[in-house]
Amino acid sequence: MQAAPLPDNEAERLAALYALLILDTPPEQRFYKIVEFASAEFDVPIALLTLVDRARQWFKASTGVDVCETGRDISFCGHAILARDIMVVPDALEDPRFADNPLVTGEPGIRFYAGAPLVLPSGAALGTLCLIDRRPRTLDAMELGILATLRDLAVLELGRAEGDADD
Amino acid sequence: MTDSSLHMLLVEPETLLRRTVSLTARSLGLGMVHEAASVEAARRLLGQRHFDGAVIAVECVESEGERRYDMTLVELIRQGLTISDADMPIAIMADRATAELVKELQGRGISRVILKPFRAKVLLEAIADFAGKQPA
Repeated sequence: MQAAPLPDNEAERLAALYALLILDTPPEQRFYKIVEFASAEFDVPIALLTLVDRARQWFKASTGVDVCETGRDISFCGHAILARDIMVVPDALEDPRFADNPLVTGEPGIRFYAGAPLVLPSGAALGTLCLIDRRPRTLDAMELGILATLRDLAVLELGRAEGDADD
Repeated sequence: MTDSSLHMLLVEPETLLRRTVSLTARSLGLGMVHEAASVEAARRLLGQRHFDGAVIAVECVESEGERRYDMTLVELIRQGLTISDADMPIAIMADRATAELVKELQGRGISRVILKPFRAKVLLEAIADFAGKQPA
């Protein structure tokens, strides 16, 4: 297993994350709507809105899992925030970064992962909107476009004050 | 400057689905999707500009003791009462296929019927079909 290296802007990234005052806050419908929509749209058992903290990834919204955080050292999202594009892992067992990851070899048995980084206008990637399946699969161009749009809507929500959502 | 984009009308009450489709269509170059959350909002848009196609969610309503699908917008378009071509392609979104729906659709030139669960991808594919092109 390869733990993700830290982004070059890690200090600024963490400062931007902490400035939002969102870590460990209660569940919010506006974020749950997005992960539930993503889970149904892509027919995946797990969809998460993750925020990558110094040593953990914390889930602001989730469907299909009953934990609210995991260690950053085993997180897929720690890798996904290193790039601006969506990171797709069609089959984790075939990927040397993840093949022996405990999230792959044990629960929840990740095989497919697609993570769209939540990048603020400042360039700080705070976490991801990600899809997880227990079987190998991939996404076509249209599906990647839909995931990118949902990610953009999640970033907009992160920038809004609580209760400002229009729906 | 001329506007060469295709303009589509999407009538759908659910905001997240509507917005996801319109933003993704734009990012994939499928055209401009104009959003309407209600029949009233769609009527206004149909009176303001020309559309090249429409995807319309229709609700089953009680009318004179009979269950009917609300085809108000389809009728407006097909009767030439909007700025758009009367024969523009129209896809219908409905919760399920019923005998009432089939009856309502007959003779109205509906290109496609989309049933629940509504997925953004299916709506985008309908829009791509209207545009006559596929995403890159």
